[in-house]
Amino acid sequence: MADTKTRRTIRLVRGVGAGSAVTLFVSYCAFRLHFNLSTAGSIDLLIVVLIALRVGFWEATGSSVVAVGCLAYFFAPPILSLRVAEPENWVALASFELTALIVSRLSDQVQNQTRQAVLERSNATKLYELSRSILVLNRQEPPGPKIASLIAANIGVDAVAIFDPDLTRLYTAGKCVKEDEELARSAYFSDAAAHDELKAYRWRRVLRSGSKPIGSLVLCATDLSPLMVDAIASLVTAALERARSFQKESRAEAARQSEQLRTAVLDSLAHAFKTPLTVIMASTSGLLEMNHLIPPQAELVQLIDQHGTHLNALMTHLLRMAKLESAEIRIRPEEVAIPHLLDEIVEECCGQLGEHSIQVHIADADLAVSADRQLLSITIIEFITNAAKYSGGNSPITISAQKQAGRVVISIHNKGSVIAFEERERIFERFYRSPATRHYASGSGIGLAVAKKTAEGHRGSVWVNSDETTGTTFFLSLPALARRECEFVAK
Amino acid sequence: VSLLQSRVLLVDDEPSIRRALRTTLSALGFDIEEASGGEQAVSFVRTERYDAALLDINMPGMGGIEACRTIRRLCPRLPILMLTVRDSEDDKIDALDAGADDYVTKPFHVGELMARVRSAVRRSHATQDDIDTVITIGDIDLDFEGRLVRKSGGIIHLTPKEFDLLYCLMSHSGKPLTHARLLRSVWGNDYGDEVEYLRTYIRQLRKKLEDDPSRPEYLLTESYVGYRFSDTYRKTSRGLRTVTRND
Repeated sequence: MADTKTRRTIRLVRGVGAGSAVTLFVSYCAFRLHFNLSTAGSIDLLIVVLIALRVGFWEATGSSVVAVGCLAYFFAPPILSLRVAEPENWVALASFELTALIVSRLSDQVQNQTRQAVLERSNATKLYELSRSILVLNRQEPPGPKIASLIAANIGVDAVAIFDPDLTRLYTAGKCVKEDEELARSAYFSDAAAHDELKAYRWRRVLRSGSKPIGSLVLCATDLSPLMVDAIASLVTAALERARSFQKESRAEAARQSEQLRTAVLDSLAHAFKTPLTVIMASTSGLLEMNHLIPPQAELVQLIDQHGTHLNALMTHLLRMAKLESAEIRIRPEEVAIPHLLDEIVEECCGQLGEHSIQVHIADADLAVSADRQLLSITIIEFITNAAKYSGGNSPITISAQKQAGRVVISIHNKGSVIAFEERERIFERFYRSPATRHYASGSGIGLAVAKKTAEGHRGSVWVNSDETTGTTFFLSLPALARRECEFVAK
Repeated sequence: VSLLQSRVLLVDDEPSIRRALRTTLSALGFDIEEASGGEQAVSFVRTERYDAALLDINMPGMGGIEACRTIRRLCPRLPILMLTVRDSEDDKIDALDAGADDYVTKPFHVGELMARVRSAVRRSHATQDDIDTVITIGDIDLDFEGRLVRKSGGIIHLTPKEFDLLYCLMSHSGKPLTHARLLRSVWGNDYGDEVEYLRTYIRQLRKKLEDDPSRPEYLLTESYVGYRFSDTYRKTSRGLRTVTRND
């Protein structure tokens, strides 16, 4: 900085010297040629204006002062003395100086504006080039390094450093030194003031999308304006954002495709299993229906039929769970009255539970949640069949529902088959089967994982309590809904 | 009408399923005609007369639902039963909306299938005669003119909406009716999504009509689809049990 100031001063002194010399020389010539005060004044004015146009305001001002001196010395009587005797000459000299000052000021302004316009045009061209190059960047490649080198090439800066906090990467171009890199990093982490011109022609900006910082930029250049730096920063921001949203999009697209594939595989699996099962069961039930079999044959066909039905139930359950497990659970929430739901579930389940009876205890008839009815009933049925599977003989299964601190807690209790303390978290993991029971109870190891996923999808939770004396209780807790009395019931 | 001589059009793209069903149903007295796809089924229906059609939903080319719609246009009275797989509740609703009379979920027992076919055939014949103003199913009598419902002779008091809902279900007994259809016919055309209304009324009706409301014998839930008033059969864990019908 100090460097430029000295250089500027030297240039100014030199300009003033040269201007004064020219003025002095011309004035002397005019004196020798016996010009009068007004003619010499006009010539000097012309010279001052030329200096103002070609060199600058301060040089012209210096020269004009010398010119006034010369005019007073050579042309205003008494001649060859700096004294001016007549007052009208004072007026002439004063108006000369004033005119010179005004004219040089005006010409200097015009010149500055022109220079500014040229600079701005060149900046605009550079920015245009930069944005065009950024737009045609290959979207498959990481944008950072390209953007850095494009800034270096198009804007003509000495060094560029872009910090990308998402990947914690630093992209540099030009003669970037360690200090610039550090600056870029620290700018992002300290979230430095947005407008920040640093020493030694360094500029830094925190790149913001909205109010969220998404990176930082350090530029190293001698002839940048804050405006230009801001423009570059917003270009880089837009380019990074664009690249990121493209990446996000293509990731989402890939996920969607693999999801589609998974669904297609599961659907074709379902079809592949259902067709032979349909044939088997149509045949066995047809045979039984015809009533021509002797008792041992009928017994065997019944066996095939029963196990076909069982196999079908297993397949249906497994495929449904696999579908729910693999997919993002899509919840279609509606107001679900818990007592109604439990009634329906019991109605649906009672054929499948063998000797087990179900008892339902509902503390509050107005219990309701906002949930996906189908998913919620699948979850509760999962707990009920689980309870039936692991509890012995004909022991009853008890379902209770109550409100606790703004949540609806549904519990499914059965006697027998204690779950070891260390397994209580793990049974909700996918494919986990308790070593104690995996040999005698059938299951896929997905059901409870799906139950947990469904509960979490509803901002709820599942857990289990189990001990020798009270038995095993699974809990499902969901945010409660303040149940309003349905108007049609009142009618 | 002798149900045993019924001509049934069987439409499925799986040859093995057609074979199994043709063999069993023929042996049980049905006259079976096979079609391997929707297009073929439609062309058969144009030229032949059938007593019922069994249509698979998932078929390449013209699917079951499209075929059902076309056949329903050609033969408004032909009973159509759809063969579906589980976990396709939306398909079932679409099929019923497309004009199907009933659906059977694969894999199924032939006894259940036959019962549904019989029920649909009987309904199609019944609607050809004038509908009785008194419907009697099991031990429940509904007198439409007198707006009276009796169970085993004793009068059951129903609210007007409960009566309308019960009438709608009983006049289509044996046929599954979707939530939307029930809501529209009982509450009006502006309704369709208010399933919770329906659940409340069905629960009230069960309390008044069923011996054990938690194990209904008449007002059956078709999971995620709608409700059905049982007509002659009821599925239990032990198989099929016939409920007497006095008509």
